[in-house]
Amino acid sequence: MRLLPRWLSDRLHRSWDWQAEIQSHLQMRAEWSEQANGLPPEAAEADARRRFGSPLRALERAREVHIANWIDDLARDTGHALRVFRRAPSVSLAVIATMAVGIGAATAVFSIVDPLLFRPLPYLQGEQLVSLGLSGPIDANEFLMGVNYLDWRKDQSAFQGLTSMRPAGHCDLGERIPLRVHCIAVESNFLPLLGVKPLLGRTFTREEDRPHGPNAVMLSYGLWRSMFGGQASALGKTVNLDDQPVRIIGVLPADFLMPQAGEVDVLTPEQLDEAVARAPDATVFLRAFARLKWGISIEQAKEGLKPLFQQALQSVPKELRKEIHLVVRSVRDRQIYQAKLGSWMLLGVVCLLLLMVCTNIASLLLAEVAVRENELAMRAALGAGRGRLIRQSLTESLLLGLTGGALGCAASYGFLKSLVLLAPSGFLRLGEAHIDGRVLLFASALSILCAILFGVVPALDSPRPEALKGERGIGLRRTQVRNSLVAVQIGLSVVLLAGAMLFARSFRVLELQAVGFRPDHLISASIVLNSRRYADPARLNALYDELESRLSSIAGVTSFALSDTVPPAGGAHGRPFSNLLIAGHPPLPPEGGMVTFRYVTPSYFRTMDVPLIAGRGFTEADRAGPEAPLVLSRSLANKIFRKENPIGQRISLDGNETWSTVTGVAGDVKNNGVTVAAEPEYYKLRMRKSTQLGHAAVALFRTSLSLATLRTQVEKQVSSLDPGTPVEVTAMDERIRSLNDPPRFLTMMVGIFAAAGLLLAGVGLYGLMAFLVASRTREIGVRAALGATRRDIAVLIQKRAGMLVGLGVLTGIAGSLMLTHLVRTLLFGISPYDPISLGVPALVLTVVGLVAAWRPARVAAKIDPATALRVT
Amino acid sequence: MPKRNDNLSGVLELLILKSIAHGPNHGFGITLHVQSVSDGLLHVEEGSLYPALHRLERDKLIKGEWKVTEKARRARIYSLTRAGAARLAEIENNWSALSKGVQKLLRFA
Repeated sequence: MRLLPRWLSDRLHRSWDWQAEIQSHLQMRAEWSEQANGLPPEAAEADARRRFGSPLRALERAREVHIANWIDDLARDTGHALRVFRRAPSVSLAVIATMAVGIGAATAVFSIVDPLLFRPLPYLQGEQLVSLGLSGPIDANEFLMGVNYLDWRKDQSAFQGLTSMRPAGHCDLGERIPLRVHCIAVESNFLPLLGVKPLLGRTFTREEDRPHGPNAVMLSYGLWRSMFGGQASALGKTVNLDDQPVRIIGVLPADFLMPQAGEVDVLTPEQLDEAVARAPDATVFLRAFARLKWGISIEQAKEGLKPLFQQALQSVPKELRKEIHLVVRSVRDRQIYQAKLGSWMLLGVVCLLLLMVCTNIASLLLAEVAVRENELAMRAALGAGRGRLIRQSLTESLLLGLTGGALGCAASYGFLKSLVLLAPSGFLRLGEAHIDGRVLLFASALSILCAILFGVVPALDSPRPEALKGERGIGLRRTQVRNSLVAVQIGLSVVLLAGAMLFARSFRVLELQAVGFRPDHLISASIVLNSRRYADPARLNALYDELESRLSSIAGVTSFALSDTVPPAGGAHGRPFSNLLIAGHPPLPPEGGMVTFRYVTPSYFRTMDVPLIAGRGFTEADRAGPEAPLVLSRSLANKIFRKENPIGQRISLDGNETWSTVTGVAGDVKNNGVTVAAEPEYYKLRMRKSTQLGHAAVALFRTSLSLATLRTQVEKQVSSLDPGTPVEVTAMDERIRSLNDPPRFLTMMVGIFAAAGLLLAGVGLYGLMAFLVASRTREIGVRAALGATRRDIAVLIQKRAGMLVGLGVLTGIAGSLMLTHLVRTLLFGISPYDPISLGVPALVLTVVGLVAAWRPARVAAKIDPATALRVT
Repeated sequence: MPKRNDNLSGVLELLILKSIAHGPNHGFGITLHVQSVSDGLLHVEEGSLYPALHRLERDKLIKGEWKVTEKARRARIYSLTRAGAARLAEIENNWSALSKGVQKLLRFA
């Protein structure tokens, strides 16, 4: 029994054989010389070798023969393929065009998801790096208190080393009109632990990392290029950072990425003061990263940290302990954050589309085979073996596939550009998506794979002997294969359409979500003050008072308010529910979770149009009073007081002596995006001479002025008070709409792919029906002659199409049921098994099927039996 | 379809095919056979023998198999295929036509 097909085993043996053959020849000649000429053995051998000439040359020439053989075959196959294409250009063009679209889309999508999912991180052995810390309701990402970090660093055993950074912040670079840039303070071992080497200069030394150490900074590549034109002389220069002189000691490489994927322009030393961090009421927050020891997995590391975690929990207030968890996850997961499922889904959808493209092309080529059957049968009769025919067919499909793939790569540049334009900025880190060598390599491999996939189907179809007679048969097996291909296409199309419908419906639910206030004609201006310049609370206060009076007097503004944060962007302050003390009531239970709060000026409720459902809001008079009144949100009032009247109740917010009176209850407002339910919250009035507003505030304007006009006004006012403080002015309804950008984008993408898939399925079905009618002309003629009416025949064709569509739709529905539940976390307010989203595609495909079969049915009905029967 | 090369390699092909037609043989045996039958007039260039053998094998005119000779030596024995026999007949026809034509021309001049 042969292990390998003969042609393969022969090939493999050949080159070993040649050596042996030549050796045996030389030996025989030597023996003969010995015998015939009486030469001694060594002389005989030398003589034999001399006569033969260089065996190496002989081997080479023999090898050349075979390479020439191979190249010869390839050239012949290619020439033949080109002749075939020229004879039937429309089919080849259709294949190339379809392939280009499929590969183009797949390449563009791959270039987007590759940096997120697959590409090696720009660190040394990045898969060993993890982000670790505590996760809790205070922050979306894990963090560590300074004291925890110091303890964990000392006592841990699972990691080669730990490093840390402060949460990202802003700082002002430059002197007179400073540039607001992203600054991040990192420990001196940050870059070495990640395995990142600076492009220029060096990283921080331990000296520079000590509190009050010398001031050194590193610049990002982009900042270095724009500020210093990429000159190496930037090293050692001194610049002003937050009104302090600092020396530039290094430049980061161009592909540098922070482990939390945040923007960075300047790195400064962390200068963590251990004494300060360990103080009892310290508020030192850090983000921590670590490198796993060889052979230790993330799970093992997490287990090892559990005792340290328990220790850290002791310093957390008891009520919150249930909400705090230990997090150890790979840096890749940290960077992908919420985009993981979306990326995989896009990849999956584009794969489905590519599968449809391949089945479509396979079907087309199969039809081609039927047409060329005569020629193929002739070649088979003349001695071309099956292997030869398969090779010929694969050469054709590879040529088509590679041409289509090359066009597709060119098209992918365009696709990527339009994707980047359509997508919300920063979504899926689209800025990093490039079509480079790695992506192109993927595209070529994909093209070859697809070419083999759609090429192997017609290749395996051997021509029948009857075809020699020129008989245009249909081939039962071939038709069955085409039938199943079309059914598969219809099924895939159903799946894509179902997905698109689910996303579209989910998106509609999203858009209809009420946010709790009226966003139209509402403009917000976010102001971030320099914390160093306003370290003195009196100065900060004076600025806010001044700001309030100036901004409220801008002409054309109906209503103005100032707040520290604004929904629905989140970021509001929170405190544990159980911290609240209600006068005359028992203490609140510890499992109450968190309560959001916000400092506002009196006209906040009017400006935002948040309804006051009981009592009253704040007034200017309240601001002069001794204590700040409170307004509760409806959910908080219900939570604390249930049926009691909350108005007039006294609440202490932080367990110390300051008490406030509840003056009113406001409607609920969504604070953290549109999908998260409204949390209980309270509003506190910003009193004069108080330091409640931190270094960031949001001014709100209810106005009919255009965004541009208001922006100029606000910027003018702010810069006259403090030049260089950036002001971000946005329309509120724009903000809310942009919160929905990621789901909008995904919906659009799936929709586009589903539409393309529908087109492919329709075209595929039409092609098959038309072909069947054309090849069965005689059979139809017979039926007509035997008395079938035109209607009978049309109905016959439609029924045939209908059965195919039915089969395809059933398969599609089954497929959808299996696949859609994978993306249920991306859907909002709708079940993945939503019947409408399954039913409508089924209906659509049925209609498309009927339409696609309509024209072939008409053609069939018009067949004249006399002419049909004359066709041989 | 076998390529039609220039006449010289055609000669070698002819020699090899004819020799093998006489009886299956290995490369060295073919060399000896040609030499002896032509009374020393024709020598096979040994460096070009094996490429020619491989070419013929590729074109499926001869078939090679490893066998053990009487001297207990491993050698690749080539035998003629049907296509090879047909080709041989064709070449022989061409040759006799060619030589007849040349003779007539020589006599004429």
